[in-house]
Amino acid sequence: MKDYQLAWKNLWRNRRRTLITAASVFFAVFFALVMRSFQLGVYDRMFKNVIESYSGYLQLQHEDYFDDPIIDNSFEIDQALINDLKEDQNVKDVVPRLESFALAASGNHTQGVIVMGIDPEGEDRVLNIRNRLVRYKLKDEVVDNLINDTIPERTKKLLDIFRNEAYTSAERMMQDLDISEEDSASILPVIRRHASFPNEFLTSDNEEAAVIGEGLSDYLQTDIGDTIVLISQGYHGTSAAGKYVIKGIVKLSTPDVDNKIVYLPLETARYLYAAPGMSTTAVISLNSNDDDDILQTGIRLRDRISEPLTIKTWQELNALLVNQMDADNKSGIIMIAILYLVIAFGVFGTVLMMMAERKREFGMLVSIGMQKHKLAKIVSLEMLFIGFLGVVAGSIASLPVVFYGNIHPLRFTGEFARMYEDYGFEPIMPTMMPDSYYIWQTVVVLVILVIAITFSTRKIFKMNVINALRA
Amino acid sequence: MKVIEIKDLHKIYNSTEVKVHAVNGVTLDFDEAEFATIVGPSGSGKTTLLNLLGGLDMPTSGQILIDGTDLSTLKPSALIDFRMRNIGFVFQAYNLLPVLTAEENVEFIMSLQKMSTAEREERTMELLKAVGLADRADSRPSKLSGGQQQRVAVARALASRPKFVLADEPTANLDSKSASILLEIMEKLNKEEKITFIFSTHDPRVVKMAHRVITLEDGKVVSDEER
Amino acid sequence: MITAISWKNVWRNKTRSLIVITAVTIGVFAGVFSMAAINSSVIQRIDSAVNEELSHIQVNNKDFRSSADVQNIITDYPDVVSVLESTQGVTDVTGRIIIRGIASTAAKSTGVEISGIDVNQERKMFKLYERIIPGTGNYFEENTKFNSVLIGEKLAKELNIIRYIITDESLEYLEDERVSSAVISKLETLKGQRFTSDKKFVKAYEKLLDPSEAEKYWWQIKEAAWSYREGSKLILTFLDMDNNQTGAAFRVCGIFRTNNDMFEEFAVFVPEDELRLLAGMEEGAYHRAIARLENDDLTQSVTREVKNKLADYEVMSWKEIQPDLAMITDFIGQIYAVFMVIILAALAFGIVNTMLMAVLERTRELGMLMAIGMNRRKIFFMIMLESIFLSIVGGFSGMAVSEIVIAITGKTGINLVKYSEGMEAIGYSAHLYPTIDIQFFITTTILIVLTGVLSSIYPARKALKLNPIEAIRTE
Repeated sequence: MKDYQLAWKNLWRNRRRTLITAASVFFAVFFALVMRSFQLGVYDRMFKNVIESYSGYLQLQHEDYFDDPIIDNSFEIDQALINDLKEDQNVKDVVPRLESFALAASGNHTQGVIVMGIDPEGEDRVLNIRNRLVRYKLKDEVVDNLINDTIPERTKKLLDIFRNEAYTSAERMMQDLDISEEDSASILPVIRRHASFPNEFLTSDNEEAAVIGEGLSDYLQTDIGDTIVLISQGYHGTSAAGKYVIKGIVKLSTPDVDNKIVYLPLETARYLYAAPGMSTTAVISLNSNDDDDILQTGIRLRDRISEPLTIKTWQELNALLVNQMDADNKSGIIMIAILYLVIAFGVFGTVLMMMAERKREFGMLVSIGMQKHKLAKIVSLEMLFIGFLGVVAGSIASLPVVFYGNIHPLRFTGEFARMYEDYGFEPIMPTMMPDSYYIWQTVVVLVILVIAITFSTRKIFKMNVINALRA
Repeated sequence: MKVIEIKDLHKIYNSTEVKVHAVNGVTLDFDEAEFATIVGPSGSGKTTLLNLLGGLDMPTSGQILIDGTDLSTLKPSALIDFRMRNIGFVFQAYNLLPVLTAEENVEFIMSLQKMSTAEREERTMELLKAVGLADRADSRPSKLSGGQQQRVAVARALASRPKFVLADEPTANLDSKSASILLEIMEKLNKEEKITFIFSTHDPRVVKMAHRVITLEDGKVVSDEER
Repeated sequence: MITAISWKNVWRNKTRSLIVITAVTIGVFAGVFSMAAINSSVIQRIDSAVNEELSHIQVNNKDFRSSADVQNIITDYPDVVSVLESTQGVTDVTGRIIIRGIASTAAKSTGVEISGIDVNQERKMFKLYERIIPGTGNYFEENTKFNSVLIGEKLAKELNIIRYIITDESLEYLEDERVSSAVISKLETLKGQRFTSDKKFVKAYEKLLDPSEAEKYWWQIKEAAWSYREGSKLILTFLDMDNNQTGAAFRVCGIFRTNNDMFEEFAVFVPEDELRLLAGMEEGAYHRAIARLENDDLTQSVTREVKNKLADYEVMSWKEIQPDLAMITDFIGQIYAVFMVIILAALAFGIVNTMLMAVLERTRELGMLMAIGMNRRKIFFMIMLESIFLSIVGGFSGMAVSEIVIAITGKTGINLVKYSEGMEAIGYSAHLYPTIDIQFFITTTILIVLTGVLSSIYPARKALKLNPIEAIRTE
């Protein structure tokens, strides 16, 4: 019989102990994987939100702009420069922006805002900004009308809760209002009739129009068709003022930005700030968003450009978020470490008990002629099997949870959701699909097993056969 | 009244292939203060009979009356209680709790019966003296010899003043000197406390000292001698 | 007696028991200590929020929150004040003018919320004056020809009011802070150079130092070079009562530092008279009335009472203004329980395994006990007690260790300097002083005992299934 076959058979001689120990490993692995999956999923989502709605993966900037993001640190950008950058194999698009601060006023309300002068086509290509247009808005009149119309009771109740919510897609609205697939065919048209929101994005790059964030429109109490006044300081200190018609309203997923954003066409913005041909940043979209590819592309592009320009990565652009996620990440790792530490003791205890119980058996085997190292090998295999049993079972058990959480992320509602949004985070918890972190669990369990095996092997080699037989 | 009345006792085991008629129609009586042994070869039904007598097993048919009480009428929890109050056990080994001292081991069963502390202590010392181990009261079993452990076991068995004591091969692990000391003590106690002792044994020394010898073969009583 | 037996049985196999007990100790310590750290963080946040930022109860017009126009003043301020002052539990009341505007220096401008305050009254109600960085001024104590404004450090950095210069004092400070002399001599080359922004200074010294040196000492270096020129001025612009743009130059009379970056960046304080004049507001006009209570626990009841009396206004407690704070305190208890349950569940595997072994190696003993008359309940109880003892010994030693560590770190503090940027951005201090209250220990003990009880069920059932006859068979 081969060693591993003997080892496997030995495991099942004391089925209870084998199963309990494997179960403890299973528990730790399952729990660690599910927790990590949610944690990593949330980080990923958070970064993606910010990157895809705002910062992009790489940006071209004036080298002084990062430390001092004022309009005076803008740079000249022309088609030639853009084409030059696009020659890189991984660069898909280069979209210039002129970004600055202004005081926005409408009627009696004023608010500090971020003004983003954009190339509407380019911004849409790279950041899918048109998808962010609000399509449905549950204004008070809308909700009142809907409640009087023919829709299910539970939806009516939910309508009250979601008053004043704006939606960029029908799916999300159906989810919030708990409208099932079957009902959607009959209910959706009703809702569309009342709640549809006629909305347009910027089309040309020099119209005197603006598209603002939903949070901002709420605060300023402005709607499509109203006028908004922007006052600020322009390039080299000139004063800047302009009046714009609100053409559309978008809803961004980062509430922080959504409450303050005003999109203007690029040339309009340049005119407002007296900065012809200038941009504060240019977002560079890539073909591949692999961490490594981003890094390499950044390096290559830096070689292409000359002073005073520079390339910034998304980590640098979102340093604060990176810091916060890092802290949270570490705390998660600590918790899992505690869990594994506790399980490790369980495994050591099992090894101890097993060695004591089988002392006589080992003594007998060695006395009839089995080499100690062979015995040690078999015992080690037994422990590896238990460990892997737990790891494999835990990993497999975690998969359904991870897959489900990826497609149907946990969505917070009510108070909890508000809290998240107040901090500037989207109240959603998706999971991350199996990745290298799955491998880590195996590694940790392996380390625990190796320590246990060292102990058992030493004991076997130090064993005095006669004493063992007397046990 | 007889202490023990056994009426036409049968015990059949339905094991995998064969039906084993371990006890095959045994009828016996025991009086107060008897000192009896049950002998017979392995497979004769000795152990089974003792287990039935002690209420550890249920007969297939027949009756066991202890001081008038039919064991089969007792519910399981009542049976356990009955054993505690009426039957003393001395096993071949593993009689004592290794974590308790000799004194605590004897006292233990009385605390289960909820005797007062004063009563318990008095009786414990009395019994330990009777078995000659008053000076080893504070020792744990691991510090006592095999014979001494068995003596403590006897003291423990008598602590609750049972109707009778069942001893299953009590001398099997002892050397001759310890065995004889043990038997002497048991005989003395049998006379003083007037408690019936029933042994099951292979040991000729025990058989020699017994006042009544019952021989079993194939589950039947083949001889019942008074000496 | 059974209790004594169970306890002694625990120590029959010392090594095995000690392994389980150590595991429980570690698990419990980990759980309790991490909770203490988080708990202290939350307590500190609430303390800041109540004592520096919000106070207990705020009253304003019903639409003020959605439309913060300067015209939206409290309709009958004297009435509001008398209602508040007459309410049981209220210790102090004050009023604020609140106007959104822009603060700018030559270099930058940014949006702020300007609060016109009654300086003397606010001194009683808010601890902000304690947070003024030494050397930057004071809480409106001097009279100058310019209007005074109190701003936060984040805003001061944003507007380039705070600079970084390495001076002789800076180098002395670094020596006192035990920064390595290699680093100090490298920094000396920057002496006298003035850096107008955080990032420029960081870039400069990062060029001179090794990455490890920079990471280790950045906090001390920034503190050393931090410099503020007294009398810096900024301009506040906003809309007045007639919707005309107005503003004036203000002299920074002090810079405060809290753990809340958002607060530091947006909250700007000026004496009310100056603001009133500029905004064209009447005497006695305020946007908000603020009440301070005797203690935090009265918040719920007093707010309810005030809401009833002032039904025409919007009355909010700090819990309603920052619901996340209220929620977190509620949550903390639950989060802790969940955390401990998970740890204890992991430990339970080890305990079950140990108890199982203990039962199986004692079959003869157990058979004997059943034979001599120990009933099922007592045997179950005996085993359960053993399991409970195992968990409790580990649990109590874990709690004892955590109590010691909490006491120590509660004084010295744990400095998570690396994460201070991220944490302070959402209002939490990165310097933790772990603390925990009795409630947690009680919860922990209950959970530990529960673990012992539940872990014993399976082994005890195995014990009860033993047949005494077979158990005592020795032939």
